[in-house]
Amino acid sequence: MLALLFILFAALAVGCALAMVAQRNPLYSAISLVGVFVSLACLYVMLAAPFIAAVQVIVYAGAIMVLVVFVIMLLNVEHEERRPPRLKFLVPMAVVLAAVLIGEVTFILVTVRDFAAPVSNVGLTHSIGSALFTQYLLPFEITSILLLMAMVGAMTLARRGGMLTANARVVPGTQQLPLSIVDPGAKPYDLRVVETDTTDEAARLLGVEGLRDQSKRD
Amino acid sequence: MDTTIDIILKFVAITVVFVVVLLVVAYTVLAERRILGFIQGRLGPNRVGPGGLLQPFADLLKFILKEDIVPDKSTRFVYFLAPVIATMSALMTMIVYPFGPDTRIPFTSITIPLVVTRFDVALLYVLGITSVGVYGIMLAGWSSNNKYSLMGGLRSSAQMISYELALGLSLIGVILLTGTLDLTQIVDRQSAWYGARWLILLQPLGFIIYMIAAIAETNRVPFDLPEAETELVAGFHTEYSAMKFALFFLAEYINMFTVAMLATTLFLGGWNFPFIESIFGRGTFLFGLVSAIIFLAKVCLILFLYIWLRGTLPRFRFDQLMNFGWKILLPLALLNIFLTATLIVLFPNL
Repeated sequence: MLALLFILFAALAVGCALAMVAQRNPLYSAISLVGVFVSLACLYVMLAAPFIAAVQVIVYAGAIMVLVVFVIMLLNVEHEERRPPRLKFLVPMAVVLAAVLIGEVTFILVTVRDFAAPVSNVGLTHSIGSALFTQYLLPFEITSILLLMAMVGAMTLARRGGMLTANARVVPGTQQLPLSIVDPGAKPYDLRVVETDTTDEAARLLGVEGLRDQSKRD
Repeated sequence: MDTTIDIILKFVAITVVFVVVLLVVAYTVLAERRILGFIQGRLGPNRVGPGGLLQPFADLLKFILKEDIVPDKSTRFVYFLAPVIATMSALMTMIVYPFGPDTRIPFTSITIPLVVTRFDVALLYVLGITSVGVYGIMLAGWSSNNKYSLMGGLRSSAQMISYELALGLSLIGVILLTGTLDLTQIVDRQSAWYGARWLILLQPLGFIIYMIAAIAETNRVPFDLPEAETELVAGFHTEYSAMKFALFFLAEYINMFTVAMLATTLFLGGWNFPFIESIFGRGTFLFGLVSAIIFLAKVCLILFLYIWLRGTLPRFRFDQLMNFGWKILLPLALLNIFLTATLIVLFPNL
């Protein structure tokens, strides 16, 4: 029974992975990748690691891939055009790496004779929690600081340029703007003014051309 | 041979649960139409059967008999896949909810738990399956090749990602208090105080955040932007007809039902009710029956709240929705975790 289920999910995972690489349409690739994640989660359940399986589905299938599909839909990327390959040295590299991978798998299949899985509870919630907060506390904390840094970095990048409040409008005519609005690098209390001659120039300096077009319409 | 019997028993349990849930869901649709009618000063459907009680079956027959139209320029495979994903992910969480305590079957000595299956990470399983459900709506919006559908799909994915965070964080308080992810154990912890130690008493803020986020997760009024009919025709399911539309309809109501069941299990004490254990005695058949009825009654109460909200509130604007989710609900959920953790440190035997 277990072997049958393993073959089913393993075949599903490999099939989805192949489909992901072979598809021309990026959305199909994304869906196939979701299929890979879900079948991997099923395999984790069979390896007595339900916590990892659940987290795999929540994080990868439920959050990251939803964002990927969201972006693909938002940009409406249709079929990828077939271009001449630019990085030609990658082809022999891929062949070599594939050979290494196949060699490893063959080595494991030949050497490992004891197929009976050891009974373990490493995948249960309780054991993962206690291991994370005792033995692996330092790596855990370092990882969380890394994630915090990534979050702060993402926010800094997203804030750049759009320094205007939502109800600010670019008024036609000569503009006088505090330097801190025009140049995000300037100190906030730097009140030197920057003069612009036209509305377009002001909008360009502020990085809000799109906003201006919108305000024209209403 | 034991495993074969086990598998057969599981199949029977799953069938019973699905039939009960689908029946309740069918009558939720009817209840919604009747209650909305009452709120809006009209009658609602009352012609088919006594008081309109056969209306769900008439609706089902109509859905089956309608012509199934597939748009010419749609992406066929994904177009067919989307309603399947929506319905399947909605139904899959059904198996972990405890409907009642361990119960002896009358005239035998066999005791069965009133839950299909229980495992270590049931709560995470529910969250994971729910988060996969959004693909149904997104892919439906994309594959229909319709601007309104695409807008609906985009809105729905943005909304679900945003509110899933608040939803997940609002449950952390419950996990901190019970110390487990197993739904059966969470319900058992709420049996103290003669069956009145419901976690809503200890987690009022968490309950409110969960309910708001759950309404947004199920795309219900006032968060029904993915199908806002005044701006998007019908949103992601504009191009769906007949039984495929019915599947989306079904998925929405099953999702309502499952979030109501989760709220009952985590915050409203599950099948617990003050003093019923001392009246009927633990393990008897009557106790199991009354507990299951109490569980379903609590779920129906939350469903009524949903319908009431739909009859009362207008729809959010999209920027309001995003601001509310990220700037109010998420910080509140974090505050709830902080408060709960502090309280547990100060009063360890809470």
